[in-house]
Amino acid sequence: MTGAVGRFLCGQPLGAAGAVVVLALIGVALLAPLLAPHGPKETGFATYVAPSREFPMGTDQVGRDVLSRVIWGARLSLYVGLVSVVFGITLGALWGAVTAYVGGATDTGSLRIVDCLMALPPIILALSLMAALGQSVNNVILSLVILLTPTAVRTVRAVALGVAATPFIEAAEAAGASRARIVFRHLIPNCMASYIVLVTTNISYAIVVEASLSFIGAGAPPDEPSWGGMLAQGIQALETAPWMVFFPGLAISLAVFGLNLLGDSIRDLTDPRLRGGLG
Amino acid sequence: MPMSLSRLTRLAALAAALLAPIGLPAGPAGAQEKPRPGGILTWFDYGDPGRLDVHAESPLVVQQATAGIYSGLLQYDPDEPSKIIGDLAERWTVSSDGRSYTFHLRKNVKWHDGQPFSSADVKTSFDRLLNPDFKSPKCGAALKPMVASVEAVDSNTVEFKLKFAAAPFLPSIASAWCRVAAKHILAKYGDLNAPEAQVGTGPFKFKKYERGSVIEWEKNPNYFIPGLPYLDGVKQFILVGGPTQLAAAKASKIMLWDAWPPMRKTQADELGRARTDVDIYQAPINTVFFVYLNARKPPFDNPDLRRAVNLAIDRQDLVAKALEGAGVPCAILDPKLVGDFALPLDEVAKAPGCRQPKDQDIAEAKKLVEKHYPAGLDVEVAVRQVGNYVDRGQLVIAQLRKIGIRGTMKTHESAAGYAAFGKGDFTIIATQDRAMDINEPSGVFHISYTTDSGSNYGQYSDPKVDELTERALKETNRDKRRLAYWELQRYLLARGEHASIAVAWVEGWFFKDRKLRNYKPGLTTYDNNTFMKVWIAP
Repeated sequence: MTGAVGRFLCGQPLGAAGAVVVLALIGVALLAPLLAPHGPKETGFATYVAPSREFPMGTDQVGRDVLSRVIWGARLSLYVGLVSVVFGITLGALWGAVTAYVGGATDTGSLRIVDCLMALPPIILALSLMAALGQSVNNVILSLVILLTPTAVRTVRAVALGVAATPFIEAAEAAGASRARIVFRHLIPNCMASYIVLVTTNISYAIVVEASLSFIGAGAPPDEPSWGGMLAQGIQALETAPWMVFFPGLAISLAVFGLNLLGDSIRDLTDPRLRGGLG
Repeated sequence: MPMSLSRLTRLAALAAALLAPIGLPAGPAGAQEKPRPGGILTWFDYGDPGRLDVHAESPLVVQQATAGIYSGLLQYDPDEPSKIIGDLAERWTVSSDGRSYTFHLRKNVKWHDGQPFSSADVKTSFDRLLNPDFKSPKCGAALKPMVASVEAVDSNTVEFKLKFAAAPFLPSIASAWCRVAAKHILAKYGDLNAPEAQVGTGPFKFKKYERGSVIEWEKNPNYFIPGLPYLDGVKQFILVGGPTQLAAAKASKIMLWDAWPPMRKTQADELGRARTDVDIYQAPINTVFFVYLNARKPPFDNPDLRRAVNLAIDRQDLVAKALEGAGVPCAILDPKLVGDFALPLDEVAKAPGCRQPKDQDIAEAKKLVEKHYPAGLDVEVAVRQVGNYVDRGQLVIAQLRKIGIRGTMKTHESAAGYAAFGKGDFTIIATQDRAMDINEPSGVFHISYTTDSGSNYGQYSDPKVDELTERALKETNRDKRRLAYWELQRYLLARGEHASIAVAWVEGWFFKDRKLRNYKPGLTTYDNNTFMKVWIAP
């Protein structure tokens, strides 16, 4: 195990840096109640207090501690990112693997549905969904699931088509294995590398979409400590209280940077064309 | 009926207070400048009005969109905003018992489509407004308690018969919401919502309405006052959200910011750093910041829960943070606007819900909530996404959390919010400013407190409030009237069960481009927005 970590650190130094950021993000999210000096919705302080010893990231326009909101924002971002990606990519992966194996009209019909969904610009689709569903964190997740699923369908279907043509699938069919057994026992496990890459690379995407939706007022409700929402509120007092924009902006950048570095490294590690070169 | 001297004095003082800090020419020196015709005035609406029926709607943006299109029987003098003068009525007389008003109309006035104007148009408009089945939250709501009937005596004369002699009648008729619409247009379209139905007799014609973008007027060359208006047109950009509005102001895209929402201090400071060609001033806006509770459904059909919220709302904190100090907390009537009709502020400050520190009120409110909901309760808190309502909503939610009411914010687009609130489709409205239609103590009670008020969103009915309001309205002796309003304010403050909770009278910062001449702010945010005498200096 230590050896594997060491190899990862040496082979993927950027990925290791990303992992450190992601671990820090997870730590902050999990320990938010302990780390945050104040409640994220507590408005009992003076407004627009500049960063100081008492308020290291200052206070906002209604007298909330920006540090506490940034810390709780990590929890919200990670929650939205992880849940939406796990559900969206899993759903897409299952859909893609099954339709790839079944083939025929099912596969063609499925692809047309995916094409339709992918033809819509993602942020417009997410906005429309939020307008229809209403503002809440869970609806943001639902919108992201709908947004992420088609990508996963396409990617996993392509991999699954390759796997389905391999001799061991033919052998399983010849041995009388049921379709369900073939899909879940043989096909999907062989698509797991793509699945893992999709998950890791899309968490940052989900975080950015959530922040974007909240920034334009269509994401999490305004009192929730969302980094995007904090940016939107900070814009209103950019000259007076630039810290209201700076710190949540920094948090988004760091989280996305770390997740992207880690995701890229995992992709490199699981890509057989690159694996040899990095060993 | 002449206005009382004391009222005139107060209004003049208010006008002076408004004008002094901005250096507007209020006297003869300013009047000596020769008006220069031409130019387009630019300003903004805080939201998209959607519907344009000035008789049926209440949002300021509807008033702004149509202000220059229509005329009323009377209006507030653009040169002296505290004075009522004729508009479509050349003159008027009042019977000795004060219960009959006769308006003598201008002759040879034409609608924008060339049709002749007559008393039939006035009768049709006011019959519409007074129809008990027609919901008219502004003009209709103000006039219905007072007016018994409207008759066209001849083609140029109209008579209003009142139920009793009422001091607010003329101010209400002069209100920017009591505009006269064309009989033939109402017959053709059924209402005044469509842009094509915007046919008035006012100084400007309705030119263009691009949803969510801009509303434009153009000069009416056949306006019944020769030589007016001076401007070629008015362009109102629809700018939603403080940053967009401020950005437009800083980039000199708008020449005037004198309507709701006012700028906050931080915004005014930012504008002052960006532009040196504007006068920035602080002023009241004759508007109350309310929290509304829905008294028709749980949990706020329970008086204990309404009392709890009334006790928990920290008005001073909301003024300090949401209004950046620019407001009069707790007052049901603002002494700056209606003088001694308002209960003295030191007495108001001792009322439950207003007294500081808040500990006693919070403890009492918590007990009331725990009595019915030992584990607290979850409610949806509605706000329209305009002005800084979202910030205010967050503060209200934080205050309610202290007594065990856990709020989740639900935001509405402006017009959709009004529609939902009007239907009673909410639990709490965290914030909703209600502007006065007239600068008169009766205004606020007929807007938000009586059973039939146009903005009684909580649909709360208290016979005693109705009775006290009517008594004050009918009272002709000034001192007795003042005492009646004091009794009404004391009752509302002490009982603390009303579904309309007055948080504060709103003040704020505004600006005017120095090139704009002859613009004087009205006494309410709705008045003097026709720009009929405004001109632009080179």
